[in-house]
Amino acid sequence: MFQEEGIVVTGPVVNLPTAGAGGSRVVFTIPVLVGQLVGVKSVKIKKVILFNNAAGNTSVLIGNGAVGVGIPVLLPALTSMNGLEDIYDNLPEVESFANITAWPAALVAGGSIDIQLQVIVRG
Amino acid sequence: MPDLYIFKTQVGMFDPVALQNHNVCIHYVQKSYYRKVDFLEGIPAFQCIDITAGAGLAALMVTGRVNVTNLEMADNEFGLWRWYPIDDAQVRLYHPTGIAKYQLRNLQVPVDMNIVLRDPNLVSTEIAVWQNNRPGVEAINGHAFALGAVRLIAIGYRFHSVDLESGKNADPMLVKAIKEGKAPCTDIWCSGRGTGD
Repeated sequence: MFQEEGIVVTGPVVNLPTAGAGGSRVVFTIPVLVGQLVGVKSVKIKKVILFNNAAGNTSVLIGNGAVGVGIPVLLPALTSMNGLEDIYDNLPEVESFANITAWPAALVAGGSIDIQLQVIVRG
Repeated sequence: MPDLYIFKTQVGMFDPVALQNHNVCIHYVQKSYYRKVDFLEGIPAFQCIDITAGAGLAALMVTGRVNVTNLEMADNEFGLWRWYPIDDAQVRLYHPTGIAKYQLRNLQVPVDMNIVLRDPNLVSTEIAVWQNNRPGVEAINGHAFALGAVRLIAIGYRFHSVDLESGKNADPMLVKAIKEGKAPCTDIWCSGRGTGD
């Protein structure tokens, strides 16, 4: 019987204070230790939790480009409602071999988004 | 001849490597000891070590080599163990502490949490421990964050045995028959082996 292979790992809570792809930050780092026995690892995003710190109604994008670049996007934009928590589960099992980054599409001045990912690490 | 041998497994099962009155040959590094089992019991799964000794393991760090003293056995006893980590580190096993286990020519294969998915019976992790000749482990944290602990769970069997080569249970004729292949005996490797020798 096939069983999905991988280890569920929760990433840190990361604050996103800057709108646009230029404000993208790493929200989950793929485990790797150069020179050790790890081999190649990848992650699938399992769950996303957003908390909107007076940032206005906006959306958050998740990609795996470099910090400050963000692109390419891995998932459709996830809505974040002003002052509320949004939880996204049952996401498409998009696999990434690079660190996951995220950035808000827009922010009210002084507002920010807190984001936390739960991923399946494979490899 | 009982149908028992090291690494024996069936789905969801872990068989003892020997039963009451079975002959065994304990191999430890280059030594061999001929013995007979006179007691055995199962050992339920238990947490045998936190490799970090409660200190946790910082991001991208490797621990020093730590002896797993909880897998030691008393005199005249050997243990048969299968094991897996419950924290997301890779673990390298040494048995005894100076000899790499799971050693290939170019790689010492580590064990991580995926083992319970890839090898649910844990057959590939099986080791035997002769008396106090315990294994050692190292943990590798590949994550960008610290791990609070690196804990290992072990499950297995405890065997008490008597010496067939000397003492009150000595049986030179039986040992001779075993060595000539005329009497049944199960070989049990209680250490790793250096490659290339």
